[in-house]
Amino acid sequence: MNPAGRTGLMPADSASGATLHTIVAVMSFLACLSLGFVLTLGRLASEWTDGLSGSVTVQLLPSAQISPEDQVKEALRLVKNWPGVFAARALSREDSQKMLEPWLGGGNVLTDLPVPQLIEVTLQPGPVELEGLARALADGVPGATLDDHKRWNAELASFATSSEAVGWAVLALIALATLAIVIFATQAGLQAHREIVEVVHMIGAKDVFIANEFQRHFMWLGVRGGIIGLVLAAVTLVGSSFLMNSREAPVGAQYLPQLVSSPLLYTWLLCVPVVMGLIAMWTARFTVLRVLGRMP
Amino acid sequence: MVRFENVGMRYGLGPEILRDISFTLDQGSFHLLTGPSGAGKTSLLKLIYLAERPCRGAISMFGREIATTPRDELPGLRRRIGVVFQEFRLLDHLTVFENVSLPRRVMGEMESQYRAEVEELLSWVGLGNRLNAKPATLSGGEKQRVAIARAVVAKPELLLADEPTGNVDPEIGGRIMRLFTELNKLGTCVMIATHDMRIMERVPASRIYRLAEGRLTVAKAHDFMAQAKRA
Repeated sequence: MNPAGRTGLMPADSASGATLHTIVAVMSFLACLSLGFVLTLGRLASEWTDGLSGSVTVQLLPSAQISPEDQVKEALRLVKNWPGVFAARALSREDSQKMLEPWLGGGNVLTDLPVPQLIEVTLQPGPVELEGLARALADGVPGATLDDHKRWNAELASFATSSEAVGWAVLALIALATLAIVIFATQAGLQAHREIVEVVHMIGAKDVFIANEFQRHFMWLGVRGGIIGLVLAAVTLVGSSFLMNSREAPVGAQYLPQLVSSPLLYTWLLCVPVVMGLIAMWTARFTVLRVLGRMP
Repeated sequence: MVRFENVGMRYGLGPEILRDISFTLDQGSFHLLTGPSGAGKTSLLKLIYLAERPCRGAISMFGREIATTPRDELPGLRRRIGVVFQEFRLLDHLTVFENVSLPRRVMGEMESQYRAEVEELLSWVGLGNRLNAKPATLSGGEKQRVAIARAVVAKPELLLADEPTGNVDPEIGGRIMRLFTELNKLGTCVMIATHDMRIMERVPASRIYRLAEGRLTVAKAHDFMAQAKRA
């Protein structure tokens, strides 16, 4: 039935329709997963870089020119008075021990190794003259260096950008494949229902009328397939998120990025059936008009 | 209304199956087209209802030269023609009512505009109780009556019928011919392709066209019938 309550000119339960339903559902499923992957990566990258750009670290290497206590005191005084610095805190021996434990294990690590003293500096939002601070620390406090995480930031940003690009490329390929499949399905549909097209054409239907009937049929087919794919993808995403946070999850799974968490992701996912419907609709219209154009 | 001048037609690169066809059909006239099987009757009808293009010659329909008429204006001409196809060509997924009302729907009319007319027409051809039946459940004769109702529902100026009484009993055949005659009296030009001599005797055809080996000859109905009876 079409919106006017009349039976559509295309039979609703054609064989090509069933095949196309399945294929569009699979394509939508893959598109939803790729979209989830791309958006999660983008969110993680911005979380990582935001978290790092709000802080810097001062490293204090042991120096013969100054005692460790004076070195910390002098560095804290300089840093705390620097414009744009919100807070500064020298990490305690226990903090450093805890930080290194996953890599070096427990025990008397800090007594056996010359581990630098660290000062964690939290910055106020907005630009801060970090190069000047680095120079001031090098000049005023022997053995002090400033790590502004630039290298780490750049590597993270580069990784996130590349991964996002790969994700978008996968999405583009899925859209392209869907397009090709809908073209084949429309042509098969036209072939299977050639009789209908010819009769309607012969009784005076304009090409646009026939194209509208076809595009409506294929649009709903695309939307229905898209919704099936979306539901399957949502179940997969929510299920994987549930499993990763459950007690039975393998060790370390909780550190993996959580796919389902943002309203933006849900909004994008809801767009997938609409986009599938539009792709099917426009491809069908274009194909039908091209085929009809060859008729007398 | 319809004018053919030295028209030739072939399918693809095959031989010409219609050669040098010339005739005119005037408004309100009644014509019969006969000839042996394979003579090209259906092909000639296809040319008239614009389903095929000629390979040569000129066709004029409703005052328009077909060769120079833009393609997007051809549907407007087709809507002025009603066609009863030999093999019915009903849409199997639509009901009898929907099949018959298809020409009106294609013209952009709403169901409320044509429902009463279609129901009346279907009652007239004896299918008033089969409105919601699908073609698969109909007999050959019933399908043919649906096809005829579809051809006349939009009150065409030109009605073409390819063997319209081939599958119906004499009583229904007589009804169908009366319907065609009534339409003709209202100004519709009718052309029927048939082998059926009974039809030739019943209808008010002034001229009978005979196709043989791709060529068309025209005879006065009276002369043709007399000759046929002698043979």
